[in-house]
Amino acid sequence: MDRALRRRLEARFGEELTGPVRQRHDETEIRIAPGDLPEVMLALHDEPDLRFRLLSDLAGVDTGTTMQTVYHLWSDSSADWLRVIADGLSRDDPRVPSVTFLWKGAEWMEREAYDMFGITFEGNRDLRRIYMPPDYTSFPLRKDFFLPDDASRSPGGGVRPMEQTHGPTNAETAAHVRQASSS
Amino acid sequence: MTTRTPFDIPAHASSDDPRVTLDEALGTFEPIPPYPPRTEREAEFYTLRDGEMFVNMGPQHPSTHGVLRIVLKIDGENVVDLDPVLGYLHRGVEKLCENADYHQAICYTDPLEYISSLFCEWSPVIAFEKLLDVQVPRRAEYIRVLSGELNRIASHALFMGWFALDLGGLTPILWSFIERDEIVEMLAALTGQRMLFNYFRIGGVNGDLNHEFMSRLGTWMSKATHQIDSNNALLNENEIFVRRARGLGVIDTATALNMCMTGPNLRATGVPFDVRRAHPYSIYPELDFDIPSRTEGDCLARYLLRMDEIKQSLRIIDQCLHEMPDGPVMAKMPRLIRPRPGRAYAAVEGPRGQYSTYAISDGTDQPYRMRIHDPSFVHLQAVGLLTPGNLIADTMAIMASLDPVMGGVDK
Repeated sequence: MDRALRRRLEARFGEELTGPVRQRHDETEIRIAPGDLPEVMLALHDEPDLRFRLLSDLAGVDTGTTMQTVYHLWSDSSADWLRVIADGLSRDDPRVPSVTFLWKGAEWMEREAYDMFGITFEGNRDLRRIYMPPDYTSFPLRKDFFLPDDASRSPGGGVRPMEQTHGPTNAETAAHVRQASSS
Repeated sequence: MTTRTPFDIPAHASSDDPRVTLDEALGTFEPIPPYPPRTEREAEFYTLRDGEMFVNMGPQHPSTHGVLRIVLKIDGENVVDLDPVLGYLHRGVEKLCENADYHQAICYTDPLEYISSLFCEWSPVIAFEKLLDVQVPRRAEYIRVLSGELNRIASHALFMGWFALDLGGLTPILWSFIERDEIVEMLAALTGQRMLFNYFRIGGVNGDLNHEFMSRLGTWMSKATHQIDSNNALLNENEIFVRRARGLGVIDTATALNMCMTGPNLRATGVPFDVRRAHPYSIYPELDFDIPSRTEGDCLARYLLRMDEIKQSLRIIDQCLHEMPDGPVMAKMPRLIRPRPGRAYAAVEGPRGQYSTYAISDGTDQPYRMRIHDPSFVHLQAVGLLTPGNLIADTMAIMASLDPVMGGVDK
């Protein structure tokens, strides 16, 4: 755990952070609102005492109640991975600014998150499905998309067809959807 | 001539019966999609200017290293633009892992990258160990590094053959398969499988080193350096090969970082970024090895860099064999594991770059979310950046030098 990085992040992004800076093992985690993402990422990328130049990973997460986009960054200024969580995207219409203005390589990763979760990355010039066919309407990694043998785990849910439409507009948080704990 | 339907053809007709010949060609790929463009980029790509045309490469083209379809927009012999179409090998591994328990999830990650499976297992295993706070026995760490480096050599040896094959040389792939096959047999003796090892476990490895593996490894190590040198001499001093690969597909440091590239493709541009040193895991901090890097950033640099890495891997294997401690190879683990709710991220340096896993636990026996990041996926993007302006044949050369594996790209 890099305590110095934590102090730096708290001093620099005190207002943008929506939760405490968490540290565990070799990871430091900050949470921000999706609207602050371009500003925070630009600062992390460019400021000389941060220098997070390498985007290691970009992931979408469906927590059951909200959506998140999670970025893992690496810098030579710290021994930790930095995890930036853009938290609190609505499940009905998840929208988050794109980071392709900093990392062009994020384009496909954002396409993947769009394909799997229906998250719209505003500013991505080529946001279309990447794995699933173009006429596909579901978003497979959302938690209300069940595999056929999942029916046993949700009492009362019964057997659902696997590929029902879960567009962001008609998505609802059902009671039987598995939800991540809020910690 | 009338069009025949399949009903007119008698069941006993052989395939060379002229009546079987269909008048209309079936199953051709129409390059222009039958739906309106979804993005501005797609609209721009599928608009032809004077003299341009589309050519489909794949999905079964031998140079695409799997099932990848690339729509090339060409002007004469020059590539103007290209649009890779993915998804032919998409298996939904992340979803499967989220519906399997922690032990089962690891064997789903194996076939992601079938050339270097151990690295695909390694990152989720480390992520799960972080979630559980497990201490892995030191002998297990040494065995992981030993088998991982062997797998890296096998992967790089195969890269040498593929790269030369895509440039038009047939001999190197026959030579490189000698190397690879010996290592694969060796790992089969250790893990029980030739390609999809499923060897790493949460808290250790599946089995200890055995006699067959050690004797095969000893025989191979005594001649490995010589063999690899003679393999390299086949290509490094080949003027046709060197002239073809030099100066092709040049990428500079800033662009490589911008494209999120890692691994040999990034190191070939002059950045000595290697997760084994940049963010150490396992026992790598204790081992003595160099991170080769080159500054040219072209196809030849990427090739030569991988050949240098083979030598470093041999050094690591040598040290592992000399310093291998005794002890157990598995930590004490329950059959059913339920980590506390939390998040963990782990990355390892594979032969193609950084493999990483982001796992979220919600306290049950299944990962709530398991994100797998594969370097091939990121590197394949760069083909669209590097190829325009080059010849059609260079598309394969550039793609082969970036070394993507479609199993990893399509997840």
